[in-house]
Amino acid sequence: MQNSRLLSISFVAPALLILAAILGWPLISAILLSLQDVRVVGSEGSWIGFANYEKILASPVFWKGAGLSLAWVVANAVVQTALALTAALVLNQNFPGVNVAKTWIILTWIVPTVVVVMIWRWLFSTSGGIINPLMMQIGLVDRPVGFFSTPWTAMATLIFINSWRWFPFIALMMLAGLNRIPADLYEAARIDGAGAWKRFTRITWPLLTPTLGVLAVIGTLLSFNVFDIIWLLTSGGPAGGTRTLPVLIYELAFKGYRLSEAATVAVLASLILMAFAVVATKSLAREGDAR
Amino acid sequence: MRRGPVWNVVLALIVLFFVALILLPFWWVISGSFKIPQEIIARIPTMIPHSFSLQHYEKLLSGSDYPVYLVNSLVVAVLSTAITVVVAIPAAFAFFRLSFPGRETLYRIILLAYAFPSIVVLIPLFGMFAKLGLIDTQAALVIVNVTFALPFAIWMLRSFFGSIPKEIEEAAIMDGAPVATMLRRIMIPLIAPGIASVAIFAFITSWTEYVFASVVILSDAKRTVPVGFSGIIGQYQIDWGLLLAGASLAVLPVIILFALIGRWFVSGLTEGAVK
Repeated sequence: MQNSRLLSISFVAPALLILAAILGWPLISAILLSLQDVRVVGSEGSWIGFANYEKILASPVFWKGAGLSLAWVVANAVVQTALALTAALVLNQNFPGVNVAKTWIILTWIVPTVVVVMIWRWLFSTSGGIINPLMMQIGLVDRPVGFFSTPWTAMATLIFINSWRWFPFIALMMLAGLNRIPADLYEAARIDGAGAWKRFTRITWPLLTPTLGVLAVIGTLLSFNVFDIIWLLTSGGPAGGTRTLPVLIYELAFKGYRLSEAATVAVLASLILMAFAVVATKSLAREGDAR
Repeated sequence: MRRGPVWNVVLALIVLFFVALILLPFWWVISGSFKIPQEIIARIPTMIPHSFSLQHYEKLLSGSDYPVYLVNSLVVAVLSTAITVVVAIPAAFAFFRLSFPGRETLYRIILLAYAFPSIVVLIPLFGMFAKLGLIDTQAALVIVNVTFALPFAIWMLRSFFGSIPKEIEEAAIMDGAPVATMLRRIMIPLIAPGIASVAIFAFITSWTEYVFASVVILSDAKRTVPVGFSGIIGQYQIDWGLLLAGASLAVLPVIILFALIGRWFVSGLTEGAVK
């Protein structure tokens, strides 16, 4: 049996070492960094206790970022759930080409974000972009809209683009949940004369909610952490209108040369996420028990 | 499943909506990359190109470092994928079958990795890489990409191991095969779809990674496609033709990969990961 312990260690050690060195240690360093006053990467700082936390928690920029992050997460959740659930229900049907559709729906997720950004910047642009002429033709607007020129339109456009990138991935996870619902339940319901709507509300929806719960947690973490799409499209602008917490962290660290303050925001953001993850998984587990 | 004609029409319309939502943007980019500049910026965009020209591709491939970026990205992605798979298989197996103290706790901690903004890690990691002399090396990118793919890979493979009927494993152990041999000869072939899923995930993670590559890589000759591509955006005064060609070429390798083994990835996501 000692043999098997040695074997276990040799099996997990490489993975654990990599994760500890590249994720674990930097996380601890970030906490240490937040207690110092380092400004530029690589320079030495002195210990200043919780001064950074006092400063950040009193800063309106941080709270605005937190508010934007919250809006970002909620809006992405709503848009992505609506699109993904519809797509998953459709992919769960039988129609010609359904298998091809299942594979290629994820196309938006496998291309580099820089490309996603470029595609949509072009489509939304006021010169040569297809969306403005389309909207003018339908009569929605009478002059080209600068989608990235006001905070609200920029935020809404970013939410759309990010959802476009992520909803197929979420849809496939939902499809996994749908696949797990036993087919004979539907068969039995049909024999009892239940219509499509009733089958959805009585079978599909209740049996899918655990999956949706898990996805809500994963999706929240994923979209909270989105940085590159926002940075590449708006850099947090205009007027800070899209400066969510990850953007603020990057800006402080690499543009503002206030590394320790960036680390402080990062630690606070992580605490918020951890608290959310713990509470959410606990309540999911409780709901699971109640069933 | 039987459906009425109304349902069929509704279904077809929804399918059409999603096809348009997902494919039309790509169609505009790829078809646009073959248009002449005047047509690209035409006030009323054309759905089907009126002109055909390879000038943007010529400019991109001979007038910029784009081919170098493509090669760099491929090298980083292939290495990241290989290392992720090699490291994740034994780890996933250990988390699934072998017993050691703290197994479940460690497994949960690993999955927590995705709860942190990756930006958090970026700051201290930059300092660490600077001390180790890894700034401006592709090794740094491989290390980072492996790290970010590992938790998913371990989770995915563990659930694939879980789907192997226990009798197969027991029969192998009865034959007296050592664990490592049993893993290599019997278990690994059985979880091939899982390995394909993990490989694709690692490849895509690496191929699309922008943030770390933009901070860690300094010299132009070592840039990956995402960083090189965003460089082109800034470098020229928005030359849409060049960008469209660059975007098309950046999409091509993942499309080829996906055409070959994409269905394994999707079935891995939708069927394998049941736990």
